[in-house]
Formats: sequence, structure tokens, C-alpha cells
Amino acid sequence: MAYAYLFKYIIIGDTGVGKSCLLLQFTDKRFQPVHDLTIGVEFGARMITIDGKQIKLQIWDTAGQESFRSITRSYYRGAAGALLVYDITRRDTFNHLTTWLEDARQHSNSNMVIMLIGNKSDLESRREVKKEEGEAFAREHGLIFMETSAKTASNVEEAFINTAKEIYEKIQEGVFDINNEANGIKIGPQHAATNSSLAGGQGGQQAGGGCC
Amino acid sequence: TLNVQTAELSLLVFPYTAHTAKKLFCFIPPLLSLSLSLSLSLSLKEHETRVGPTTGPHPRLQPTRRKNLEFEPLSTTGLILEDRPASLPAKSEEEAQRHRQEYNEMVAEAKRRELKDAQRKKRQMKERLKQEENIARAMLIWNTEVLPNWESMRNTRRVRELWWQGLPPSVRGRVWSLAIGNELNITPELYDIFLSRAKEKWRSFNETNSLSENEDCGTSLADRESSLDLIKLDIFRTFPSLYIFQRGGPYHDLLHSVLGAYTCYRPDVGYVQGMSFIAAVLILNLEEADAFIAFANLLNKPCQMAFFRVDHDLMLKYFAAFEVFFEENLPKLFQHFQTNSLTPDFYLIDWIFTLYSKSLPLDVACRVWDLFCRDGEEALFRTGLGILRLYQDVLLQMDFIHSAQFLSRLPENTPAHTLFSCINNTHMISSNRRWNQVFSALMKDGPKEADKVGSPALRS
Repeated sequence: MAYAYLFKYIIIGDTGVGKSCLLLQFTDKRFQPVHDLTIGVEFGARMITIDGKQIKLQIWDTAGQESFRSITRSYYRGAAGALLVYDITRRDTFNHLTTWLEDARQHSNSNMVIMLIGNKSDLESRREVKKEEGEAFAREHGLIFMETSAKTASNVEEAFINTAKEIYEKIQEGVFDINNEANGIKIGPQHAATNSSLAGGQGGQQAGGGCC
Repeated sequence: TLNVQTAELSLLVFPYTAHTAKKLFCFIPPLLSLSLSLSLSLSLKEHETRVGPTTGPHPRLQPTRRKNLEFEPLSTTGLILEDRPASLPAKSEEEAQRHRQEYNEMVAEAKRRELKDAQRKKRQMKERLKQEENIARAMLIWNTEVLPNWESMRNTRRVRELWWQGLPPSVRGRVWSLAIGNELNITPELYDIFLSRAKEKWRSFNETNSLSENEDCGTSLADRESSLDLIKLDIFRTFPSLYIFQRGGPYHDLLHSVLGAYTCYRPDVGYVQGMSFIAAVLILNLEEADAFIAFANLLNKPCQMAFFRVDHDLMLKYFAAFEVFFEENLPKLFQHFQTNSLTPDFYLIDWIFTLYSKSLPLDVACRVWDLFCRDGEEALFRTGLGILRLYQDVLLQMDFIHSAQFLSRLPENTPAHTLFSCINNTHMISSNRRWNQVFSALMKDGPKEADKVGSPALRS
């Protein structure tokens, strides 16, 4: 299907926090209580609309175990957005956020939009991390924050779409050079031609306007 | 639509079973079939109320005139084949003739289909019987000839050919054990020692756990993840559809024990995701201690060690060697993957870490394990190429993301025999060099050659 932009996302965070379940809820609108382990990386894709434009999200869902970090690191490259997920019922997954963030900042491009997600908000009775703590961490590190439930689908749609909105705004502001694919943004096939001629005539910054 | 109407009529007029009726509809365009099946069920109902439920196929094959009928069709559509009511102009002879002919053709077609179906079933039955006989015969050979003379016979051509056909399930575990070997000299007693050590740790974990919940002690929680606790998290995510490794399932504790004992036996490797699948497959085929011995020895093989230690440089060498044979065997697909930046790490990591048990149907995966036990690591990469060959045509139509998705979850109906003929057609020879030679050449060359063909994704 035709799209104006393609954004690459990466989902990271400790094992068992619900990364694959969030992805499945977002792409298939269903919840699988027992999801297969993710080894290496798996993929999902979905089309969304922002500002009347079709945007394709290409989502890389990574393995969470510490041992796989060295593999995961190489997948940050070329991501425009990252969902950093912890489990509100397991404090250790929250405690590990700092190392995840360091990893992400070090191996991705500096403009990557990071959304912090406290998942499993449906398990209120088992909560170990307060919502305020998540908010505080996000504020401190300049991240967007949301609590979600892949099970009830609460805020799942919003988490993915708000991240895209932020990326889209950055494009409008000219922060992202969309002609450089290392930024995790690709211009849709039918737009590429107009864009390149525009870019040739008026310089790269204008290229973002060529989608209609 | 005439055909449709006649089909409907014939059902009304002749006491076919619903089964035959469905077959009659096979040659009707799908769009029509919905409305058809609706009217079909109505017609049958009508029919049944009049003559009672039909018991079997007893078609009356002669074209019947209305006066010969056992009942009067109620449906107006039923009138179309028959002579029209007196109030309407009669069918022309031509039209009546055509209707008769079409009807006859349908009946003949239905008969032909039924006959074909019966023949197919007979063939399948015969095939199954033959397979069972083969398994029984193979089992006898394994038990009476091969296993008692393992060392002298394992590499004979006859045994290798028998092995290729797949191991009979009853000797599978035994053969795997023998083929994997026990160069680590692990005894069942040693397993018990490590198992009790693991149990000891679990106990103390549970204690510190309840403590740390009160104290909010970050460090003890931090190393919890890298420890035995992670196993708990993964066991229920191992073959979830089988319902045997989940809490309360028959093999839950067994899987827990084997993995726990291993982390105590090899704390330098620890538990790495993917291991639970390997242990699970072994547990399905071997007794507990034997499963552990096979598990530890299997993970000790160079290829498995490279992956489970996540040794990047070594993994790159394996990928590079794989790509040499990939290009040799499937140049078109190789080119397509290159164009789409689909590097082997995207599918091989999952395949190698779980030895195909996650992405292939379990019975097919077991046959891949058979081959792996016969031929060693080369078989793993050959299987990968076999899968790519099997699905080459589909993959050539796919972009990066669809190919990667497809390869991580292969079709559930991947048939063993076609996959194995694809593996058979995959030749592990490149410029006169075998897998081992290509791999050791890459090892000698250092990072340069690996870089040339290796996965850019892992080159960070």
C-alpha cells in the first residue's frame, strides 16, 4: 500500500515485560496470554494516519535478555522511534531502564524519539512501580511516557501513534533529514520522485512538504 | 445462473446426501455458492420432511420427468428443469434437451469426483500403512543391527541412508544420545549434584526475594534476571501450544530442573534464551538424566557455544560461511536478499539458537535434529538453505519485512518430505570446498572476509 513516510521503530526492554504482546496488540488487535519467546528480532508493520498522511510503521521487536544486548545494539541503527518498555509489576525491569537508555542513546541517532512505557497496567494489584515514578523518570530523561496494557489494549494505540506524531513534528520542524535513511525515515515510493526533484531544486529541507 | 438453478433442482428431485450435494457445487463460482448453500439447505429440508432423511447415496441416474417423482417440488426454482406449468408457455424441445444434458453432466461429474475421492483415500491409507511398515522395519534394523554395533556401523552407507529417512520415534532418543556423545563425561550422579545445587539456590532466592521486596534492594534484584529466575519466566513460553511445559503440565518441573542444573554446571555460560527449546525437545525424547547429559554435550559443540555465548565475531563467521553456500545454491534469492538488506542474522539467529524447534513444526524439527546428529553443524546450515529453497518462489515476491516475518514463523504445514528433498538438493560444496574448509578458511582470514559477505547489521 502507498505511504507518505515509513518510520522504523524498535521495541526494547527487559525480557518478559510484554514487548511482543504490545506489538501484537498494535498490529493484530489481539492479546496472546502466552507469547512465544523472542530470539533475536521479530517484525511487525502497520499503517497509521497522521495529519491526513499515510505513515507505515515498521517495528523491530527485540529479544530482552541481557545476553542478547550485543545483538540488539546493532538494530538501533536507523530507528526513528524507540519504545522502551518496563513491567509495572516487576521493579527490576524499571531499575534496568538506565542501562537500556544508555544503550539506546549510544547506538542510535541522536534524534530518535523514545517513548517510555510502563506495561501491564491491568495488573494494578501487583503493581511495584508507581505511575509517578515512571513519569519522573521520563521527565528527567526527556522521554514521552505512558502506562499501557497489552492485555486490555489500553493506551497501546496511543503509545505507537504518539511516538509517530512526535517524529512527524520533528520532520516538519526540519530536525530530521528525511533523505538520510540512517534516521529511520523513508519517503514513500510515489513521493520519492517529487521529493528528489524538489530537493534538487530547493535543497533537502523542503522535501518534507512534497507529500500530498 | 441456469446451471445453478438446475443444480438446485437436481437436489430437490433426487435424494442425494448433503455430502454429494456439496460436491455438486464444487464447479459453481464461489460468489454464487453462498446463496446456493442457503437455498440448498432449504431444499434439503423440504425434501427431508417429505421423504425422511436420506441415509446414503442412492442416486437415480435416469433423467426423470415430473410425473415419476415421489414428491412434488415446492420451490418455484424447482420447476425450471421440469416442464413448465400449464399456464406458462412450454419449454422448447431444445431447451429441455439442454437442461437434461447439463443435468446429466453434473451427475457424471459428481460421480467422477466421488470415485476420485475414494481412490485418494485408498491411496492415503496405503501410504500410511506403508509408512508404518517402514517405521517398524527401520526400528527392527536400528534395534537389532545398528545400536548393538554402533561404532562400527554408524558411518556405513546403509545406516546413513536409513538415518536420512528419519529415526523411528522409539529409538530417536537413544540414537541422539549416542551421536551427540558424552565427551564431558557427565554421569547421572553429577547431574543430581548440580540439580540439588540449583534447588538450593532457588530456595535462597525465594528467601532473598521476600526480603528484597521490603528493602527495595536494587542489586539483588538486578542479578536476579541473569540468574535462575529467568528460567521460570521462560518455561511457560516454551512450546506454549503443547501445554506440557506450563505450570502444572507434566514436564514443567523436568524442564526447570534440567535448565537449572545446567546453569550450575556452566555458570560461565548460564541460562540463555533459546536453551529452553533445546532442553524441551530432548526431554520429549529422553529420560531426565540422559536429557541433561545430551543437553550439556550438545551445547558444548563449537557452533552452539559460539551462539549461546553470543560471540559476535564467531557468529559472523558462521553467517559468512552460510552466505557462501547460499550464493552457490540459490543465486537469485541471494541477490534478492542482498537488494533488500535481508542478512542471515534476521533468520539464522532464531533457527540456530532453537535448532529449528521454534520455527518448524515439531515433527519436522525432530527430523532436522536427526540430520544434525548425523552430519553435525553443517546440517543446520544445509537445512536453512533447504528452507530457503523450498520457499524461494514466495520469498522472491516479498520485501524485507515480509520475508523476515515469514522466515521466523514458517508455515505450519511445511511438509517434511518436500523440505527434505530441498535439503537433498542443497549441495554443501563451494569451489570444491566443503563446509568445514570454507569455515576454517574464514577463520584464518580474520575479520576481512567475514566483513565482505557478513551481516552489516551485526557489524557495529
